Amino acid sequence: MKKSPMKLESSQTISGVDFENYFQPGSLKEALEIKAEYGRDITIAAGTTDLFVAYYERLHTIKNWLDLSKIDELKYIKFSEKNVKIGAMTTHLALKESEELKGKFPVLQAAAADVGSPQIRSRGTIGGNIATSSPSGDLLTPLLSYQARFKLETAGKSRWAAAEEFFTGPKQNIMGPKEILTEIEVPLPKNDSSGYWIKIGRRKALVISTLNFSLVLEFNKEKISRAGLAMGSAAPTPVRLKKIEEMLVGKSLDELDHRKLGEEVKKQIAPIDDVRGTKEYREDVAFETMINALEDIESRRG
Amino acid sequence: MQITLRVNGEERTLDVTPYTRLLDLIREDLGLTGVKEGCGKGECGACTVIMNGELTASCLVPAPQADGAEILTIEGLAADGKLDPIQESFIEAGAVQCGFCIPGMVLAGKRLLDENPNPNEEDVRYGLSGNICRCTGYAKIIDAVMMAADKLKVEGSVNNGE
Repeated sequence: MKKSPMKLESSQTISGVDFENYFQPGSLKEALEIKAEYGRDITIAAGTTDLFVAYYERLHTIKNWLDLSKIDELKYIKFSEKNVKIGAMTTHLALKESEELKGKFPVLQAAAADVGSPQIRSRGTIGGNIATSSPSGDLLTPLLSYQARFKLETAGKSRWAAAEEFFTGPKQNIMGPKEILTEIEVPLPKNDSSGYWIKIGRRKALVISTLNFSLVLEFNKEKISRAGLAMGSAAPTPVRLKKIEEMLVGKSLDELDHRKLGEEVKKQIAPIDDVRGTKEYREDVAFETMINALEDIESRRG
Repeated sequence: MQITLRVNGEERTLDVTPYTRLLDLIREDLGLTGVKEGCGKGECGACTVIMNGELTASCLVPAPQADGAEILTIEGLAADGKLDPIQESFIEAGAVQCGFCIPGMVLAGKRLLDENPNPNEEDVRYGLSGNICRCTGYAKIIDAVMMAADKLKVEGSVNNGE
């Protein structure tokens, strides 16, 4: 038999003094108790695809760790009559592959398929994406479009937050020091619906969105009965553009003035200049994307 | 703290800290240097391993999360000294230039073919989209994966005929 190329003894020197506690609970109940005790002095580790980048070369500065990766009760996609419930530790890969999500939430699934790369999708979680609250988080715009809500739990208590009330600034949200995000609930569209998703970036993979866009329209006898429009990397938080949604509801697709709606989108967003694109570029792309989205939906509905 | 994991079929128990990256554990503690560090931030794919059946950037995994995991690195791909068909294809297609990205590319190709034995070029590009080659030798890398798919088909039909 061939000799293993592996070293037989570990040669690494473990300092072990730079961190205080590492918790890897097997149940949500234990996790909530630990979070209640440590509050903001503990760092939650989910898929760690953002955490390890944010703390690159200074991981040793994290004193207390709360690792949720072994809590299997937070990994699920469950359908009921009115909605789908997704456990916070469900990965992008699981969302992308879910047969049940196919057809029902195409925009969410398309966004999950565009996150990072295969190596990131297998680890990154929907809960991590939400709690990190990046203005460019790819799942956040579809969750706004579908009007999802998030379950925030503490030991003994829980509350629900609407997606559009959750994000308060770049990487900021309404979560309290003792809360853990445990579940995402997305209502099933009531009528037949069509959607559009696009991620704009400099490359097709491994890129932070320069802009991302999701539109979900529900139709009742070809009149738009509900609209969900959201954009990412277009403001300090992912934003739902309610004013535009109101302009869509009650109309049929052929009654819409695409250019006028594109102009209105431009007015409603507040992008900045950064390494991924200028404010002006983002506004122009938002304008074009709105037009493309409506044309695409129209052509698919014939 | 201690973790136990299986790497290329061998069970190992190791002392780790929460900030020991799976990448460092594999390279430094186990001496398997086929796993490379490129960017260290999950953007290049040089540190790719297959963890519990899925492509994983080992630079973004805290060692304690690999407790109980099954890991495959490039060193574990050849069975009994015989190269995997995808390794043969990379050689035959001339897909290797400097070689730094190749362990990750080969594993990404293998993972893709395990799931989809009949990929078209678009599938291959999507499957390898987490791996960057700074020699920019993508054309031959894609050829190599397509070639491996053909090889596996032939092998499959031979085996079925037995």
